[in-house]
Amino acid sequence: MSFAAGRFPVPVREDMAAALRRSWADIGRPGAWWTGPERVAIAALARAERIQRNEPPWSRDRRETSEPLPEKAVEAARKIGADPAHLDREWANGVIAGIGDSHYVELASVVVTTAAADAFCEAMGIDHEPFPEPEAGEPTRERPDGMGDIGAWVPVQVIDWKRANVARAMSLVPEGVRTFFRMVAAMYTGTASDFDRMVWDHRPLARPQVELLAARVSALNQCFY
Amino acid sequence: MLLRASSDAVGAEVDLSAAVEDAADGGVEDGAVLTAFAEAVVRATDDLDAARARALETLGPEKFVEAAATVGIFNGLVRVADSTGIPSDAMMLERTADVRGELGFNRWGGARASGVAEAPA
Repeated sequence: MSFAAGRFPVPVREDMAAALRRSWADIGRPGAWWTGPERVAIAALARAERIQRNEPPWSRDRRETSEPLPEKAVEAARKIGADPAHLDREWANGVIAGIGDSHYVELASVVVTTAAADAFCEAMGIDHEPFPEPEAGEPTRERPDGMGDIGAWVPVQVIDWKRANVARAMSLVPEGVRTFFRMVAAMYTGTASDFDRMVWDHRPLARPQVELLAARVSALNQCFY
Repeated sequence: MLLRASSDAVGAEVDLSAAVEDAADGGVEDGAVLTAFAEAVVRATDDLDAARARALETLGPEKFVEAAATVGIFNGLVRVADSTGIPSDAMMLERTADVRGELGFNRWGGARASGVAEAPA
């Protein structure tokens, strides 16, 4: 079992561990556009590159992937994994021209899930979680309705949207949203009513402490959003 | 910025420069321990073990796990925003207009997606 309780040096809330477990297992499953082996290969590329994030890209150790992937997918997994501050629209357009917007968004969803889980392990002082065994099966190839242009690099949900834009950034691939934002709920936002409250007197850390961490991590990554 | 909003909600004055300065407390309880911990994880520095031990000792196990979780998940959230070029929310742009330039946020690449980019320093 991934993220088993015995791996942690101090107790981790069961709902958080369960969310990590479920999202981690999702990486090995066929998605909407990539197979299970391809998704695990994407995650492995992102991890390998992120581990070397303090090295300049040209001097990083790069090995063959476990599963053949398009060249643009390999590039995207590495760059989103290790150099998120250096992405721009022109670069994204080039990748999307090569692999398609849905494939790009699903790839990003795998990378962000991997980066978050790996950073959590590093913060906890434990080894990265071994990747799940890839499952057989074909991608669903389902593209949701209601996508539109709000100025992002990819189409996003535009019908009756009332929440923060970041929550719809990957809405072109709903499975990717579910996989990652399950972890977001368990590790940061809590319930919708939790998130709307600026005073957290029911959680271990006060809200300003959590938001200071959030702001510092965002700034270290030069994330404007 | 939710750091300011959540501090305002408890009547505390926060120094937002803590977001961009090393080991700054920002006026937040145990702030310097938290930011040093976040910096060590994100930068993968040699003092990560020490920063982690200090966070665990200062915060205790329950708060430490929450801190680790926040650091972890934000390493994913920043990549969601930056890989999709999603524009910032209008309300957030309005609320941060007075500090973004001063703190240097408008010079980051992602500012272009929100139409407020300044030339890099």
